Amino acid sequence: MRKLVEKVLIMDRRVIYALMASVALLPLVIGPLGLPSKVSPEVKAVYERIESLPEGAPFLISMDFDPASKPELYPMAEALVRHAFRKNLRVIGMNLWITGSGMAERILSDVAEEYGKRYGEDYVYLGWAPGAANVILGLGQDLYKTFPRDYYGNLTSELPVLNGINTLRDIPFMVDLAAGDPGIETWVVYGKARSMAGGCTAVIAPGMYAFLNSGQLVGLIGGMRGAAEYEALLEKPGKATVGMDIQSTTHILILALILLSNIAFFATGRRGR
Amino acid sequence: MTILVLFLTSLAFGLELPMPSALDLPGDDGRAVLLIWPSTPYETSEVSYVVQASDSPEGPFGDVARFPSTSHYRDERKAPFWTWRRNRDEHFFVVRTAKGKPLESGKKYYFRLGVDFGEGPEFGPIVSAVPKANWFDPTKLNNFIFMVLFSGVVLWFIGRARRKELFLRRIPGLNAVEEAIGRATEMGRPIYYLTGRLGMSSVSTIAATIILRDIAKRAAEYEAQLRVPHTDPVVMAVCREVVKGAYLEAGRPDAYNEEINFYVTDDQFSYTMAVDGMMVREKPAAVFFMGYYYAESLLLAEVGASVGAIQIAGTDAEHQLPFFVTACDYTLIGEELYAASAYLSKEPALVGTLRAQDVGKAFLMAFIVLGTLASTVGLWTGIEHKVGYFLDILRDFS
Amino acid sequence: MFLRQYVPMAIAFVMGIIFALQYYVPHPASEKLLTTVNDWLIVVGGFSMVLGLASLMGSHWSKLRKGAPGWGYSLVVFVGIFGTLAVGIASRGKIFAGEGLVLTALGWVYENVLVSLQGTVFSLLAFFMASAAFRTFRARNLEAALLLIAAFLVMLGHVPLGEYIWDRLLGFLPPKADEVMGWIMNVPNMAAKRGILLGVGLGVIATSLKIIFGIERAYMGEGR
Repeated sequence: MRKLVEKVLIMDRRVIYALMASVALLPLVIGPLGLPSKVSPEVKAVYERIESLPEGAPFLISMDFDPASKPELYPMAEALVRHAFRKNLRVIGMNLWITGSGMAERILSDVAEEYGKRYGEDYVYLGWAPGAANVILGLGQDLYKTFPRDYYGNLTSELPVLNGINTLRDIPFMVDLAAGDPGIETWVVYGKARSMAGGCTAVIAPGMYAFLNSGQLVGLIGGMRGAAEYEALLEKPGKATVGMDIQSTTHILILALILLSNIAFFATGRRGR
Repeated sequence: MTILVLFLTSLAFGLELPMPSALDLPGDDGRAVLLIWPSTPYETSEVSYVVQASDSPEGPFGDVARFPSTSHYRDERKAPFWTWRRNRDEHFFVVRTAKGKPLESGKKYYFRLGVDFGEGPEFGPIVSAVPKANWFDPTKLNNFIFMVLFSGVVLWFIGRARRKELFLRRIPGLNAVEEAIGRATEMGRPIYYLTGRLGMSSVSTIAATIILRDIAKRAAEYEAQLRVPHTDPVVMAVCREVVKGAYLEAGRPDAYNEEINFYVTDDQFSYTMAVDGMMVREKPAAVFFMGYYYAESLLLAEVGASVGAIQIAGTDAEHQLPFFVTACDYTLIGEELYAASAYLSKEPALVGTLRAQDVGKAFLMAFIVLGTLASTVGLWTGIEHKVGYFLDILRDFS
Repeated sequence: MFLRQYVPMAIAFVMGIIFALQYYVPHPASEKLLTTVNDWLIVVGGFSMVLGLASLMGSHWSKLRKGAPGWGYSLVVFVGIFGTLAVGIASRGKIFAGEGLVLTALGWVYENVLVSLQGTVFSLLAFFMASAAFRTFRARNLEAALLLIAAFLVMLGHVPLGEYIWDRLLGFLPPKADEVMGWIMNVPNMAAKRGILLGVGLGVIATSLKIIFGIERAYMGEGR
């Protein structure tokens, strides 16, 4: 028995990896768990802010993430753009991370097709520009100087969707989806948008609560859970809702492993490593 | 019904429209004008104020804003008491556009304020102002004073440090540096030193290069192999100079090699995988993670742990601290990274700055306690507006 | 000596003071200065890529030439660099067919190589998290026990299945799993983070002052 306990304590990493892989595949095999996600106030605040915007109001979404953060932020972006199109807002997309350009463009064009929205009239994708803080400062002064052309090479001054929008102050609400830097903090410091919310990976979400508590962000969507909550609010489950099932099973496995490790640790009289 | 009565009454007795004052908004970039006007007896939520602007006194005037007459009081604006008087006797509005275009600094603009009872606005006299760019933002005065004071304290302690030796508490992570380098020498395995994800404009990267100097000097003295993979070419260039200087100082210029510092890639996970691969193949005896990290922190630290390396991390990325604490043997938390250069060198000037930081922290703690007490007392006794004057000193208005 | 030591120190001093004050100046000239310097940083960074590439190519070519251990990986580096370069040049930009995006060869490389690889690497975190948690979350002492309990409660409250288990086993307790998790994240965790950030802020100011006034010169490769 003692030998078994000691073997558990020095369990090969590969056994743990195999268990994780099996448990991650479980919801895909047995089907959705069907457990609801409770909506947190900070996610609801973002939803309600978009709900309060009148039809035709401009809405800026900055998708500052790369493919590595796709599982968490892609469903979040899709849900927000869906909500914006559902409310018939004028959607302005952009990003500060060059490696995310392809994904950002894909999100806007796929969801726009779903809602029958026309490029240039209902939405625009400005693309990426170098400089991060400079881009944000530039948007605060003159949008057309910062982005003279959109992602596809069209002159931004000739796009009907941008009528009446000269600077960031002409946009009543924006959301920044960020996986790091440049991200939410950069927008808060340099952007000074009229009203702003954030969406970020679960790892950096706790650090963003300072901005939420100070009122610099009206709401915060944190990680895949936040994205799943937003999908629940829209009543349109997507990738995040499926992802939460996988996250559920893997979290429970990690908790079980921690319990096992501690039981074995105490069973060896705290002599094991 | 109330609106109709008000409107008819105003018709009967002659409506006295509020007379706004237009002035340049102080402390801005010259693209805003501040309108202020007194409250009126007929303000209700159904009555609206309408602000119009034009670049010519003859017009045409365009609508800038429309809002209920029970809003936009002076006490609703977030500005410190030394720049703004808070009350409910007056209204304000900050005009930033005229006819859909942003205001231009130095150009004269004309404004008029209208009152709308529901039958269309009636406008008062036209006023004008010229927005001007300012050279100082007075709302940041408290911030400026604190900055100057703290800088003065730092410089004073640096001067004082030479006269008196200051106590430094033990930082286990830094005490273990010697042990880590010795281990690498005995085992004949390399030392890996990583400087984080950010460039030279980040203070944490600068702190990492400063610590690298001490590590490189000891590695040179012990004849241990040092490898410093980089994600930023500018940081690599700086670190080359730092390591070269360290080897010279250690009296081992012959042992210096340009390839100690080498560039990998600036892509986050490509860099991580490259370094992980190197660690798995070369099995370093010691790994140092100094600087700012993102999601790659656990990927790097866990692989380092799997090859049996002693790992010392130091980061001010508070969201990655849990991963380093979990996977590394020692972790320097937050400002301990900045203290490291003083700790390793024991240079009086550098130690003096640590004392200054402690004084700064003591003040911050005192302000936190005082501010909390003031807010609580203000709420309990109903004198929040008076307490607000003290709290304004501690607030950030940027 | 003058160029290597005093000129950089003078530049650090002047620029440090200017940009410390820039924050308090709202005039457009101040903002223009900031954006100009940031633009120059990007330009310098761009040129420094040449330095980085030279270092990268040099070290891998050296490995290939000598047949050093791991030379196969160096070959992969060259194939990756020149292969993507060739694909990018041959692509000649994006093509849109009206119904949606039609990928060019470079777009194909982005979608099927970069996106897939980055997603794969990021997903390794889950596995590493499990092995790190198994190895480290043991109640060796009081602090470790507190860490263990906090991590346990936060992980349980973060996922719907955890909330379900909590309701089943501890449903009689007034707080729910997500409320406990929320309290831990918003109260002690936030307090600790703020404390760390305050210390870091002061440390940044002190380190910056040391560099501006030339007290700390190790980053220049010089002695103190």
